[in-house]
Amino acid sequence: MTNERLVKCFVEALGVAPDSVTDGLAYNSIKQWDSVGHMALVAAMETEFNIMLDTDEIIALRSVGAAKQILRKHTVAFP
Amino acid sequence: MKLDGKRVLITGASRGIGAAIAELFANEGAHVAVSARSRAVLQLADRLRAAGLRAEAMQGDIADEAHVRALVQMCRDRLGGLDVLVNNVGVLLSAKLGMIRMEDARRMFEVNVIATINLTQYAIRTFPRGKGGSVINLASIAGSRGIDGISAYSASKAAVIGFTRAAAKELAPQNIRVNAIAPGFVDTDMARQVSPEWFRQRVESIRIGRIGQPNDVARCAVFLASDDAAYVTGQILGVDGSMAV
Repeated sequence: MTNERLVKCFVEALGVAPDSVTDGLAYNSIKQWDSVGHMALVAAMETEFNIMLDTDEIIALRSVGAAKQILRKHTVAFP
Repeated sequence: MKLDGKRVLITGASRGIGAAIAELFANEGAHVAVSARSRAVLQLADRLRAAGLRAEAMQGDIADEAHVRALVQMCRDRLGGLDVLVNNVGVLLSAKLGMIRMEDARRMFEVNVIATINLTQYAIRTFPRGKGGSVINLASIAGSRGIDGISAYSASKAAVIGFTRAAAKELAPQNIRVNAIAPGFVDTDMARQVSPEWFRQRVESIRIGRIGQPNDVARCAVFLASDDAAYVTGQILGVDGSMAV
């Protein structure tokens, strides 16, 4: 369920297909995940999980896998 | 009303230009959140609510990261996000070259520049996706032209102007407009910190024949926040009565 919520963030913010949201998907590896998409993604994650990311976390958000690690720090559990 | 339904955060709103912007924005239909170090900001919000307007307040130092995060969270929780950010907070510590304390220069850059950049980064994440928004930075004629006796302050406000122009370019694809207002000499406590002689000279240098009032600036801020300015971004709007510097 948590993973589905994160996938939803990527789908809504970047306009990508759900099955493309794998741990290896990385910042700037697709045209949708540029700096503009990145900000939309941050906003989507903050809204979905009701958290506030700090600047270091936003910089570290370089892949789907990294997103999960960051969310774990905010006590969001992933399987 | 020009700002009906807009959700607005205004910093440095306990007095002067910030308080005038908060009052005018609330009267134009905005739901305002105000912040300042002084308790007066809480009283301002009380006054606005007593008048049937929508206002939230938080007391704190905008250079304190914890306050910034709490402030933005309050905007999320109570306003449901933001449409407009007014980076009004500012510090002016005047000193001639050769007598500028570096701690004063650092404090001005920390509040006038770094806090503006930091809060902008946080706030724009709460703007509605796809609908854009408006960021209004308070610069100064000191930043656009340079004023003797306040060179460190002038430098900090020039940095605000540079940030405004760059951010406008970066955020335009998201329909977020970024503009600055560069007031001249406005009748506030900050302006009256200077010596009476300096104050008199400055007022005499204003060709329109009077000192600016906080509402002169607030009315321009309403324009930049409103949909009337939907195609205006990256501009530095002088509100100075043709002041000579």
